[in-house]
Amino acid sequence: MGSSANKPQLIVDGKRVSGRGFSDLRNLKITAGVLKKANGSAMIEWGKNRILAAVYGPREVFPKHMTDPRKALINARYVMAPFSSMEEHGRSGPNRRSIEISKVAKHVFENNVLVHMFPKTMININMDVLQSDGGTRVAAVTAASVALVDAGIPVRDLVQGVSIGKIEGTQVSDLDKDEDNYGESDMPAIVSLRTGEVLLYQMDGKLTRVEVDTALSMIFEGAKIVREKQVEALRAKYESNLSEARE
Amino acid sequence: MEKRIVFPGEQVAERPLRLEGCFAEDGKTYAAVVSVAQEDRVIPLKGRYLPNYGDYVVGIIKDERFSGYSVELNSPYEGQLSNRDTREEFHTGDIVLVKIMAVDEVNNAIVVEPRRLSEGEILEVESVKVPRIIGRNGSMLAILRQHTGTEIIVGKNGRIYLKGGNTTLATLAVLKICREAHTNGLTDRITSFLQQESKS
Repeated sequence: MGSSANKPQLIVDGKRVSGRGFSDLRNLKITAGVLKKANGSAMIEWGKNRILAAVYGPREVFPKHMTDPRKALINARYVMAPFSSMEEHGRSGPNRRSIEISKVAKHVFENNVLVHMFPKTMININMDVLQSDGGTRVAAVTAASVALVDAGIPVRDLVQGVSIGKIEGTQVSDLDKDEDNYGESDMPAIVSLRTGEVLLYQMDGKLTRVEVDTALSMIFEGAKIVREKQVEALRAKYESNLSEARE
Repeated sequence: MEKRIVFPGEQVAERPLRLEGCFAEDGKTYAAVVSVAQEDRVIPLKGRYLPNYGDYVVGIIKDERFSGYSVELNSPYEGQLSNRDTREEFHTGDIVLVKIMAVDEVNNAIVVEPRRLSEGEILEVESVKVPRIIGRNGSMLAILRQHTGTEIIVGKNGRIYLKGGNTTLATLAVLKICREAHTNGLTDRITSFLQQESKS
């Protein structure tokens, strides 16, 4: 992890090391329906991040005693592959960090999916980080939202997010790994653009109240771009149905 | 108004409506699944089958019990077939055509009138495409039967049973219908497709 001793310069000539401006996002591409056996799936390529999201269900609850006769249970699982980053991750499977992310992702989708439509069932959302470079939790949830829609599960909105951070005193959008590790602060959030709701909100480091306000508006700006990419991915898969109808 | 594709969260109507694959909030209607919208008509492009009273569905016997059978319905929910409603004996894995007699508030279904489907083929498609496969008053089905000589039973749950005749051609035609479900003049295109293919 980043220690101040070997901290690289993060802003050079008014630009970030990656050459991006302060509010620029990395390249983003989403592909829907990449897995055959899952009910819905999506692959997100966001900068150097590669995350696969798969959705199974609604299906019978396992273990059965967890069944809720009023709504569907959401089961989110975020895991990083052992080979996903520079450091060794040791054994595969969830660790303390990914259990936390799974939990917050679960809460996002509990408020996003129309769970009351499928009582007594469970929806499994798996997010597997294959390659990571900072901002994987927002990328994973963004991909999972596309996967849910691809599965035909009714949701209130496509949800998406960006992480905003502070590096060398400047607030920037969509941190990569170095900016996250050596920067002063990181604030990922998932939002719904239709309602303006914030569904996930975490913060690492310190920000002033004013900075949090700026960060939120930057998140909503970034989310607009991300949503376009989500729609593009779904359009690529489902539009073919319609193209001939316009003849 | 032109047909357009809508994504979850997109507004489809200015007033609250009860539409399939949509939800109403703050006096407006929004799409909840990827759908095709044309004015106030919204047709979902994908969705899971939910048991509905009166539907005929193709199920698979999942479990045998003392009192009856549970039937898998290509849905998150299964159907219960009571011994009282049938004199026939089934075994796990049998394919049956059943009618949904009752559905309760948690989508448990009671199914009746089982008919064993044997020696055929089962094709699974999206349940939202079923109305197109059947056509208005069964017109599409009639065309399929006429050109392929196949006995076709379409379950509302998206399971299709095919027996006899040119099942390969029938399968291809059904898949074509699913691919082009939202196009105009589909019946004509399927007719010419079947004529062309059955000649070669």
